[in-house]
Amino acid sequence: MSEKVKKLFREELKVANIGLEIFYRSLKDQAVEVVQISWQPPPSLERRLKEKLEKLL
Amino acid sequence: MEIVKNLVKMNFFRDSLQLMQLSEEVKKIDGVLDAALVMGTDTNKEILERLNLLTSEGKAATSNDLILAIKVRDESLLSRIIPVVEDMLMRPVTSLQPTIDKTYYTVESALDDVPNINLAVISIPGQHVKEVALKLLEKGIHIHIFSDHVPIEDEVELKKYASERGLLVLGPGAGTSIINGKAIAFANKVRRGPIGIVAAAGTGLQEVSVLLDRVGLGISQGLGVGGNDVKESVGGIMTIDCIKYLEQDEETKAIMVVSKPPDTPVLKKIIKFIEEETKKPFTLCFLGTKKYVPPKKLAKRIHSCRSLHAAVLDMVKFINPEKYKDAKTSLSPKLSELKKSCKMLSKNLKPGQKYLRALYTGGTLMYESLLIYRELIGKDVYSNAPLDPRYKLEDPYKSYMHTVVDLGEEEFTAGRAHPMIDPTIRKIRLIEEARDPEVAVITLDFVLGYGANPDPVGAMQDAIIEAKRIAEKDSREIVMMAHVCGTEADPQNSSIQEEKLKNLGVIVFPTNALMVFASALVVKRCKISDEKLRKAYKEFLDV
Repeated sequence: MSEKVKKLFREELKVANIGLEIFYRSLKDQAVEVVQISWQPPPSLERRLKEKLEKLL
Repeated sequence: MEIVKNLVKMNFFRDSLQLMQLSEEVKKIDGVLDAALVMGTDTNKEILERLNLLTSEGKAATSNDLILAIKVRDESLLSRIIPVVEDMLMRPVTSLQPTIDKTYYTVESALDDVPNINLAVISIPGQHVKEVALKLLEKGIHIHIFSDHVPIEDEVELKKYASERGLLVLGPGAGTSIINGKAIAFANKVRRGPIGIVAAAGTGLQEVSVLLDRVGLGISQGLGVGGNDVKESVGGIMTIDCIKYLEQDEETKAIMVVSKPPDTPVLKKIIKFIEEETKKPFTLCFLGTKKYVPPKKLAKRIHSCRSLHAAVLDMVKFINPEKYKDAKTSLSPKLSELKKSCKMLSKNLKPGQKYLRALYTGGTLMYESLLIYRELIGKDVYSNAPLDPRYKLEDPYKSYMHTVVDLGEEEFTAGRAHPMIDPTIRKIRLIEEARDPEVAVITLDFVLGYGANPDPVGAMQDAIIEAKRIAEKDSREIVMMAHVCGTEADPQNSSIQEEKLKNLGVIVFPTNALMVFASALVVKRCKISDEKLRKAYKEFLDV
């Protein structure tokens, strides 16, 4: 089996939760070690600049 | 005088759960009669309209705008209340959740600060998932993607990348996984044990894991791969990887595969893999497909079932044959007894009460119900997601004849919390069904577990009472049935939820399939031929 999956099935979970905080709380309630990454949509100006840059490069 | 006011905040984003929580806070302000804070999607505007909370300002909002809809006792109160609500909206997002130890704002900063993360759960808008997921996969982290609307080419790219590196990509659109006994996203607290489950059907995984728990069996891992995984475009990449991992996992003694119908080439590929590359016992539940018959030499090792209920009984037979009789008794009453009870239930129905209305929150449970109704009632069961496109509801918000509706579908959830969390949409629908004098039976599913509403029956209670009152006022009786998909160890406790339903006069069933079977018998006043009944019973409630 993939060593990484084998390791996952044997280890304690350590989770990064990106997005809905309800899932952070659920994991906390199950005594799972979890960190919350708050996510916001990239500002549209930044997105447009990035797209333009990508085209230029 | 009562007044409804809509304020629109342009280009203002809060996620649906934060908005649901804010709405509840606003409702508690003195002088507020009703309130809803929602993103301005068409679905949300439709719901505001039905709650009599929409004005022309709200109508003009777009899905990028936030609508603050509020009904107050008197117009003069608005000048006091609106600034309070605006202040609440302007609070930083994290202050809504004081329980969070520390919030990170980028994946990089979290990974730098916290070593050895082995799983990431992603629930951000679909178009942004790939960028975030790739960063995690590059670091060797397995991922569970709850988000929908991830472009299919992104899904394929992520899954190929992960598969080549021996990593899991569960989802996109994976509502449920259970890893090392822990519930990920919407999942239940079930006992650990020897059964591994791979599922391309979220509530399908919930129902089978809960029923296995109910009959005393546990699961090793429950891996939700997302509905698209079994489509030709993705080709079952993760379904096959997950089957392979469970086949190699020492804790897993038998494997169950649960899915809505895969595309035919993918189904063939999965079956070929199981036939040729595995040795453990398998129970396959590819709902809505022609029953698979394994080659003779594999018939003892690979079984196939047509309902979640039957798949669970089949697995009990595999793993623990001495428990089978008890399991059968607890899940499948004898047909004669079932008929007798249903006859009793239908005796107070008036001749004009002809139709069934099933209001589902769980997509796979809804799909399973359509398969059973097709056998017992016939093809003409209307739905927003029917088996046959000819029976698609013209307006998903309006039932027609026999109707089975999945309230978790896109048209009801765009920009809103799922009805397993937010009961608003089902409460409105239940009242509408109760007003229809042709309705005989209403069925409801209640999905418990982590992620779900903390008290789903409590949240529907007022609407159930009101529905019964409406029927009674009209000298009718509506038979109400429910299935609670949950365990006693769930935060909501299935026994407490079931007890609440019984106290409300709702008939409770241990499985979805059994509830569907009973509701068909009641609505048909048991006038279904014995041959048809026996055949359906054997296929869906027995093995």
